[in-house]
Amino acid sequence: MNLLFKLHQWFSFLGNYASFGIAYLIETIVVLLFVTISFIILIYVFRKYMARIQLRIGPNRVGKFGLLQLMADALKLLGKESILPKGRDNMAYRIAPIITMMSIMVSFIIIPYGGLYYFGNLTTTNSDITLILMFGILSIMPIGEVLGGISTRSNYAILGALRGIAKDVSFEVPMLISVLAIVMVSSRSFVTGGSTYNSLSLAGIVTNEVIPYGIIEPLGLIVFFISMVARASYSPFDLSESDSELISGATTEYGGMRFGLFYIGLFGMVYLGSFLVSLLYLGGYNGPVSSQLGFIYLLVKTIILVLIAFLIWVSLPRMRIDRFVQFGWKYLLPLAVINLIYAGVFVLYIR
Amino acid sequence: MPHYTELNIGPVHPSIHGIFNFKLILNEEIIQDVKVTLGFLHRNAEKLSELNLYADNIIFFDRMNYIDAMNMELGYLMSVEKLTGIEPPERAQWIRMIMVELNRLAARLVGMGSLGLDLGMLTPFFHTFKEREKIQRIFTEASGGRQEVNYFSVGGVYQDLTEQMINDIKNFLPQFKKNLEDMYNMFIHSEIFWQRNRGIGIIEPEMALDYGVTGPALRASGIPYDVRKDAPYLFYDRVNFDIPISHEKDNFGRFMVKVEEMRQSIRIIEQCLDKITDGPFFNPQGKKSLMLRIKGNGEAFSRVESDAGEFAVYVNGNNTTKPNRVHARSPGLRNLSLLPVISKGLMIADFIAVVGGLDPVVGEVDR
Repeated sequence: MNLLFKLHQWFSFLGNYASFGIAYLIETIVVLLFVTISFIILIYVFRKYMARIQLRIGPNRVGKFGLLQLMADALKLLGKESILPKGRDNMAYRIAPIITMMSIMVSFIIIPYGGLYYFGNLTTTNSDITLILMFGILSIMPIGEVLGGISTRSNYAILGALRGIAKDVSFEVPMLISVLAIVMVSSRSFVTGGSTYNSLSLAGIVTNEVIPYGIIEPLGLIVFFISMVARASYSPFDLSESDSELISGATTEYGGMRFGLFYIGLFGMVYLGSFLVSLLYLGGYNGPVSSQLGFIYLLVKTIILVLIAFLIWVSLPRMRIDRFVQFGWKYLLPLAVINLIYAGVFVLYIR
Repeated sequence: MPHYTELNIGPVHPSIHGIFNFKLILNEEIIQDVKVTLGFLHRNAEKLSELNLYADNIIFFDRMNYIDAMNMELGYLMSVEKLTGIEPPERAQWIRMIMVELNRLAARLVGMGSLGLDLGMLTPFFHTFKEREKIQRIFTEASGGRQEVNYFSVGGVYQDLTEQMINDIKNFLPQFKKNLEDMYNMFIHSEIFWQRNRGIGIIEPEMALDYGVTGPALRASGIPYDVRKDAPYLFYDRVNFDIPISHEKDNFGRFMVKVEEMRQSIRIIEQCLDKITDGPFFNPQGKKSLMLRIKGNGEAFSRVESDAGEFAVYVNGNNTTKPNRVHARSPGLRNLSLLPVISKGLMIADFIAVVGGLDPVVGEVDR
């Protein structure tokens, strides 16, 4: 039983449409609350984890074990004077961090979270095209960064935005091709053990994913994981930030909570990217033993991926932009195409 | 007509080690020209040295290459000792040698860590600085200072190395050897590190000689010139060590030379600890009560191999308690003067890596 329909039934005295609307609203808020809380824990874990690797202690002053450090940081950012650079494009400057933030939040509503005992399926959006919607939103995200970069007319920010665009162009094509291979594989009943749900929705893909697609097409998993690292733009692909070269890249002229929103966007993208990899390639909420705990399966897979991402983050130097563009077009794209051809052969000839 | 952008790197910038200003003339990301502005940290050290007593001037030299303070002191004191004829006793020489090599290790660690930082890898920085902190603890035991140590004095050292300090150093070395390899692997096992460093900032040997480049930058161009070997001072002729060279000529070669020199430094320290003799640790002529009356006549010139290269000091005295003229040859300035030449046609990211590889310390460049 879907959580959405449960809520729908509870509010049925309001009439069909109003109750459905309220149910949808409540579930969205619940999902966003879950995301926010897990996000705070994630940043805390990141800071402790990074500190351990770097022989430091990490946050331990604010609250028990420094758990409230992020709250303190957020309050500090909110309390900062909002400094607006001269000669900015006002509208673009103000809207850029909001675009980044909003696209991340909306993406989290689309994710199929799987079932959890009494609550039933936690998925909020039951659309037939969530896969397309998801990647549409993901391609809106860099617009915030680019707008933020070029609206301030700072040379650092413009160079950062240029790097960001070059980076996005070079990895998005292989990313989408590797997703296409997923759609092809998941539409065949012999892979999925009979069930062929709509393979253009994330929920449908995961329901079909009896064998994790990472096992069927490991090449696609590699390409997609690298693309997600690049999408989140952390080291080694933090080209639009390039903190040792371009001060802070595209976000150089931002301060206070506006900068904080970009930062949330970055961490949120690490989290979202891990969700997507575990959904598309590692079986999502399907576990080794079929049970009501799909959500926990998904969460465990995601957290392991997030920790791997953090390990990559702290241990690798930054790639040079021209090297990355070469990497994208000369290695990732051919790999993605090989993966696509392989998926086609697999679907057509292997029974 | 191409459109050029001007980009200021510095004086305040995350990856500038100190305060320079580089004005990059960019064609998109490609550097067309670099204009270097120096002097933000000019403290008039040479002129100030003329106004102060011989023994007092050590602090100005401490603050030249502040991460390699022992070598700076040594360079000055060797000149003063030549000028005044106050020779340090044998034990003092050994102590100086140990300290100088320890400080070379510390300075190289800073260079290594900040190169990683410039390339966008944060982790090795903390590892190198932890090791450096251990060295600085030894310095604190010996002199009371972590970085600006002020340890050497005219005709000796400020304080004898006790048995415990020698044990500290002996305990430090084996674990440092292991940690050094770990840190080295942290860099070298990353493909991106190779990509970022190979083939950028190429210094041809002839060019290096023309510009007076010394130190690891020269040795990475394939010229085995090291003051410790070519004009031995202290007891460098009594210990075995090799001068590593590289024929890569690029940033990667410089990094490898620096790491190999750290291994050689460990070798030198180990030999010093074996060969150190008992005896006085300062010359009675340079004891504290006589320090204010040290007079020098004539001129003296001495050179040492510091972290960045050949550091030389010229002292001219006219039989008073203050020097008449003090001049320091800054290796960092020579290395930096090559930067506009070698960075043409590089990308911004490479430029930052080249600056990190040359590792100039502004205190010494500007003096």
